[in-house]
Amino acid sequence: MRAMTHPERRRPGLGRSVPPLSVLVAAIVILLVPTPTVAQERGQRGADRTQAARQAMVELIAARGVVDSATLRAMERVPRHEFVPGSNRSRAYGDHPLPIGYGQTISQPYIVAYMTEVIGARPGMKVLEVGTGSGYQAAVLADIGARVFTVELVGDLATTAAERLERLGYANVTVRHADGHVGWEEEAPFDAVIVTAAAGYIPPALTAQLRPGGRMVIPVGSVYGIQNLVLVQKDQDGRLRTANLLPVRFVPMLEGLR
Amino acid sequence: MLAIVQFYHFAYMAIGVAMLGFGASGTLLTLVGPLGADRADRWFARSTVLTALAFIAAPVLAERLPIDATQLLWHGGSWLRLVVIELVLAAPLLAGAAVVLLGIRLAVRQSGLVYGVSFFGSGLGAVAALTVLWIVQPHRAIGLPAVIAAFGALAAVWNGGGKLRVASLACTVVAIGMLVSPVWRLDITPYKALPQIEAYPGANRVAERFGPTGWVVAVEAPAFRHAPGLSLGFGGTVPAERALFVDGELVGATPISQPTADDLAMLDWLPSAAPYAAARHERVLVLGAGSGTEVRNAAAHGARAITAVELVPDLVALNASAPHAETDSTAVHWVVADARSFVARARHRYDLVVLGPAGGPGATAAGVHALGEDFLHTVEAYVQYLRILDGGGVLAVTGWLTVPPRGSLRSVLTAAEALRREAPSRVRDGLVVLRSWGTVTVLAKPAGFTPAEVQRLEHWATERQFEIDWRPGLEQPPTARFHALAEPTVFAAARAATGGVEATNRFTDEYPFDVGPATDARPYPHHFLRPESVPRLLVAARGEWWPFAEWGHVTLLATLGQGVVVALLLLLAPLAARVPRSAAAPVLPVVGYFAAIGLAYLATEIATIQVATLLLGHPVFAVVAVLTLVLTCSGIGSLWSDRMGEHRVRYALAALVVMVTMASLGFLPTVHALQPLPLGLRVVATIALVGPVAIMMGIPFPAGVRLVAREDQVGLAWAWAANGFASVVAAPLAALVALEWGSSSLLAGAALIYAIAAAIMYSRSAAAPLSSAAGSPPT
Repeated sequence: MRAMTHPERRRPGLGRSVPPLSVLVAAIVILLVPTPTVAQERGQRGADRTQAARQAMVELIAARGVVDSATLRAMERVPRHEFVPGSNRSRAYGDHPLPIGYGQTISQPYIVAYMTEVIGARPGMKVLEVGTGSGYQAAVLADIGARVFTVELVGDLATTAAERLERLGYANVTVRHADGHVGWEEEAPFDAVIVTAAAGYIPPALTAQLRPGGRMVIPVGSVYGIQNLVLVQKDQDGRLRTANLLPVRFVPMLEGLR
Repeated sequence: MLAIVQFYHFAYMAIGVAMLGFGASGTLLTLVGPLGADRADRWFARSTVLTALAFIAAPVLAERLPIDATQLLWHGGSWLRLVVIELVLAAPLLAGAAVVLLGIRLAVRQSGLVYGVSFFGSGLGAVAALTVLWIVQPHRAIGLPAVIAAFGALAAVWNGGGKLRVASLACTVVAIGMLVSPVWRLDITPYKALPQIEAYPGANRVAERFGPTGWVVAVEAPAFRHAPGLSLGFGGTVPAERALFVDGELVGATPISQPTADDLAMLDWLPSAAPYAAARHERVLVLGAGSGTEVRNAAAHGARAITAVELVPDLVALNASAPHAETDSTAVHWVVADARSFVARARHRYDLVVLGPAGGPGATAAGVHALGEDFLHTVEAYVQYLRILDGGGVLAVTGWLTVPPRGSLRSVLTAAEALRREAPSRVRDGLVVLRSWGTVTVLAKPAGFTPAEVQRLEHWATERQFEIDWRPGLEQPPTARFHALAEPTVFAAARAATGGVEATNRFTDEYPFDVGPATDARPYPHHFLRPESVPRLLVAARGEWWPFAEWGHVTLLATLGQGVVVALLLLLAPLAARVPRSAAAPVLPVVGYFAAIGLAYLATEIATIQVATLLLGHPVFAVVAVLTLVLTCSGIGSLWSDRMGEHRVRYALAALVVMVTMASLGFLPTVHALQPLPLGLRVVATIALVGPVAIMMGIPFPAGVRLVAREDQVGLAWAWAANGFASVVAAPLAALVALEWGSSSLLAGAALIYAIAAAIMYSRSAAAPLSSAAGSPPT
């Protein structure tokens, strides 16, 4: 360190009036790159805005009927904008789905929260997710403390989601590039299964890999909008029962329609 | 192309875009002001070349503006792109309409001839659009209008020589190049099922065929399975199948290899297998059989003879060539036909008529087909199905369950209404409704279900974990054992439906969505939104209501709103620009007359095509045939109008009002009476029914133009613009009226508007002839 600051060390051929190259470079760097203070301020402002947007999103979700505190806390902590492609990042906290490529979307935040609440996600719970997509749903479950095994059929999505989840520090998520309709037999049984890719049938392997007392939730509908959430419950005797859930506040709306 | 690449709502944009171009040409020429004969001649030649150029440029530009239809609701930028695409696509129509308008300007005395020839060209264009799809793929076919326009330009400017001739030659070469080497890729939205399943590992497109009935693709992907509504009790393996798509949407699947006994056993765990649990059915008719599943289901349940009716020939070919079970000795007779038309002329009787769930649950759930006319699920259709059943025969309809229930309730109510018309004493014991986790199956039996049949059904349903929401003798809502619903609405619908007309009406009035039975006059079984809920839908916070939106309806309203705004802006532009116009010529009667005939023409055309399609019995070929008939006959009317004096035009208008009124009262019953006739006679009947009205429809425009344009060119352009923009509004408005009140009401509305046009004509004639009122020299 002393050598670097030694006053006698000058490059030959450069007069006193010319600042040393390192100083020039430093000056350019200072001019071009924000100082740590400025960057920190900007970053802080950006973080504040993101946090405020996330807070507003969570308030909306709560206002629409999601009451589970663990779910709401996770939604408040997980940086949704990190799961949205760059061009749409500014719209990450709107309550609507966004495209992530391959004809897939990152689900509407309300639906993510609702599905998380419906399966009763808790720390230590073992959850199978079919359809990783961006990895956002897995991150929310992991933030609650669940162990998440997530399967994605599209290789590029699986790779990107795995990298993203690792970068963001969600160590309790394991991503696999595989066909989801056969589930994840090696890790079965699961306390809960979330199928985020809508299907015309409920794969028998998934219900088989559900633990007695476990819950599975499947959205049935199209990319235009999830119309129907089906909850499958397995009782202690292994019998299955389903319920058609409503993703939005149906009853007040019915009253409104009347 | 937009319907294939995006979603089929965008096809509705096409008419609006075309009329926007037509109207804009009038506005443009109004703003230009009076043109001398020489200038008009020069601009006529230039416009022909511009038309060719625009037909070449528009698809190239539109292709470079990708839109994400799913983001339209959230993202203002997507709307902006959509508007730009509309403007780009309107440009060729604008230039083309300017050619016609300038042609009329150059030959005012023969305006009927010019307009009539334009009608003939449109009719030929409709035939060419259909024919070309047999020869080339849709994205190549887009080059055809450019080629035709380029040859038109060549013919128009050849004698003039110079730069325009060179330009038109260049356009011809480029347009032919577009046919050979398409500029528009068939790059469909990633949200359709085809690209999604093709993204599966190891997916392979194994067949692809193009035709006027659709773009059919077969894909093999190891991860693809198809078992619509499969019971949760099924513990076996779902076999891999070959996925079938029409225009990018999943419609069904066929086996890849010879089905095993296990594969066939799985079919008994589908909800659509319910009718086979009640009784053995040997002669089975499967309607809309292209999905393949229901034909295999019938064969697996011992049907001896299966008639499978499917409209898309390529789907029939793919199904017919698919592997069959080795033990399968069933005779399957595939018929390429419109199901409704086939049933109307059926001579055989069947033990079972099946309508299965097509494709996946997505499109049904989202109301994607809300605007689609579907004559397969109307009361009249169900009555016809019941009539071709043998003594103990059953009609089985399986559809996807939406939440809140909508389509399934309509199926229940429609089947009960059909039973009431066909076997009134059997309504209560002739209806059974089963529900799985995702589907509802309605069974209707005119002879009534026996207690033994009901018992077998109950046993089968229990094993498969399906609910029976309605059966003969049920008085109270059954306790859901396997699949809970928030409210027992399916039971409530069935109880009301079997309780009589009053109970049915009470139920449909109280239910938040429109679930009343669809009819042939209003054939929209996939439309559920009540008009009174639309304002609330539009003003509610984004994200709150959208899962319930009937997207077809919303698109229609958006198109209408946009059309009204654009029409008003462009129609009023000449006023704002203080374009010189006749001091003595009130603009209002001219605009009123031409707007009225524009509205009425399109309304009559849309209603006529809808009803006549039912008579001819093929939703694609019939539309083209009727459209060509209407346009050609209108052309004849236009030509005829050249020989008419002013008083005869008034008589023609009066006759038109009477004819359209009669059509509103008697067209549909006549079509029902003629449906069983052989095709040749039905074609003759269509010409006899539609032709005379269409001839009269061709008269008002050129006759009016002749009167206005005699001395006032600006008035002519105003008239053209008013007519075009009325049509911009008319396209979505007519669709909306048909959706809410049916084709008969649409025709009645058209008759009323024609009467208003006639009144304007009469009043102007009484005060001063329309020609002199609008024809004073420009000030």
